[in-house]
Amino acid sequence: MFKFAKTIIKSFALVALLAGTSFAFTEGTDYVKLAKPIPNAQGTLIKVFSYDCPFCYKYDKKITPNLVPKLPSDLKFRPFHLKTKGKYGVQGSELFAVLLLKDQKAGLSDRDLYTEKSLLKKAKMAYYTAYHDKKERWDAGPEAYLKTGLDAVGMSKAEFDKAKNDPKVKALLKEWDQSYDVAKIQGVPGFVVNGKYLVMTKSITSIDGMLKLINELKTK
Amino acid sequence: MKLSEMIGNFRSDPIGTISQWQDKRFLWVFMAALSLFMVILAHSVFQIWLYMRPCEQCVYIRLAFFAMAFGGIVAAISPSNSGLKIVGYLFAIWGSFKGVLYSIKLNKIHHAAHSDDLFGVQGCSPEPTFPFHLPLDKWSPEWFKPTGDCGYDNPIIPDGAQLSSMQKAITDFYADGWYLWPPAHFMNMAQCTVITFGVILLALLVAAACWVVTLVRKRQAAAHVETSSYTGKLA
Repeated sequence: MFKFAKTIIKSFALVALLAGTSFAFTEGTDYVKLAKPIPNAQGTLIKVFSYDCPFCYKYDKKITPNLVPKLPSDLKFRPFHLKTKGKYGVQGSELFAVLLLKDQKAGLSDRDLYTEKSLLKKAKMAYYTAYHDKKERWDAGPEAYLKTGLDAVGMSKAEFDKAKNDPKVKALLKEWDQSYDVAKIQGVPGFVVNGKYLVMTKSITSIDGMLKLINELKTK
Repeated sequence: MKLSEMIGNFRSDPIGTISQWQDKRFLWVFMAALSLFMVILAHSVFQIWLYMRPCEQCVYIRLAFFAMAFGGIVAAISPSNSGLKIVGYLFAIWGSFKGVLYSIKLNKIHHAAHSDDLFGVQGCSPEPTFPFHLPLDKWSPEWFKPTGDCGYDNPIIPDGAQLSSMQKAITDFYADGWYLWPPAHFMNMAQCTVITFGVILLALLVAAACWVVTLVRKRQAAAHVETSSYTGKLA
C-alpha cells in the first residue's frame, strides 16, 4: 500500500515537472534574439506591420486590439510600418507616421491606438479593407493610394504634404526603417520586445500565451 | 513491348522490372515534362493570362518543379549511365521532397488566411529566401518574384485591362482563388501540389530502391559465378 502511494506521488511529481517545463519558452522556437537590436527600445513592444499583408490585417482585427490593453503597464506599444513591402509601402509609412504623431498630439496614449478615436487606426483599416477585401490595387498611382487613407481620416492632400515634412515625422520614419531587418527574419506581422526579442508568430497558440511570453521576455 | 507482357514481367519480378523501367528514358522524360508543364501552366496561364499572382511559397514550389525537371532531363540524356542517373535522382528527390514541405506550409497558410484560426503560421515575408540563397527573384522576377499575398491566389485584374470574354469567364470562375473545382472550393493549389510531389517522390524512392537492389543482386550473382568457377578450378 505504501509503495502504491509512493508511485502515485511520484507520478504527480512527474506531471507537475512536465507541466512546469511546458510553460517555459525556448529561444529559437518561441522567440529569437535579434542580431541587430533596435536601439532605445527598452520597455517597448514593437509591432512591425504592412498594409499589404493578410496576416497583419487578421492580427489587427482579432488579436492586437485584445492584446494591447492587457500588456503590462511598464511596456509601451509602438507600431512600426514596413515601407519595403507593397507597391505603396513608402507612401503608407509617410501617412501612418503623420497620423500616429497627430494621434499623440491629440493626447492619445499607446493603449488608445486601437480605439475609434485613433486616426492611425482609421486609415489603417481603410487600407486593409480596400486592399484585402475589395482587392483594390491603386493602379492609377500613389495619389490614388493616398486618397484612400486621407479620405478615411478627413485630411487634405495639402495638409498631409505639409505635415510629412515635419522633422518629427522624418525622425519616426527613420526609426521605422529598422523594420526591414525584423521583417526579413519571419515576415510580418512581427512583435519585438525591448527591441531585442522577436516573437516567433508560428509558435503563438493564444493571446494569453502570447502575453505570457511577452512578460517573460520583458524581464530578460 | 505489349502491355500484357509488361504486366507479366512485373508480376514475376517486380523489383527487376521497375529497375528496368528506370533504365529507360520514358519515365524520366515524363517526369521532366510534367514538372515543366506545371510551372509553365502556373506562370503563363494563371499568372500572366489570368492575373493570379504567385505568393512566396508558390515561387518556392516552382523552384522545386524546376529541380525535378532538371533531374529528369539529366537522367534522360542516358538513363543507363549511373553517374547521370544519380544526379537525376538527387535533383528529382530533393525537388519533390522540398515540394512536399513547401506545399504543406502553403496549405497551413491558406487555411489560416481563409479562417479565423490564425495561430500556428508564420507571417508573410517581404522577400523570398531561396535554398542556398539563390537570388532567383533578381535573376528572373517574372518567374520567381512573389507578387501575391500569402494564402491568396485569386485573380487581381489591373485597372484598365481589356479582358477577352474567355479571360473574363475564367477569372470569374476562379474569383475565390485557385481550386481544382472552384465552385465547391474543392482541393486548393497546395493540396494538389502536395499530391503531385508526394506521388512523384514515392515513385522516385521506389525506383531508386529497386535499382540499388538489382545492382546488389547482380554483384552477388557475379561474385557467386566467380567463386564457383574458382572452386571448380580447384576441384
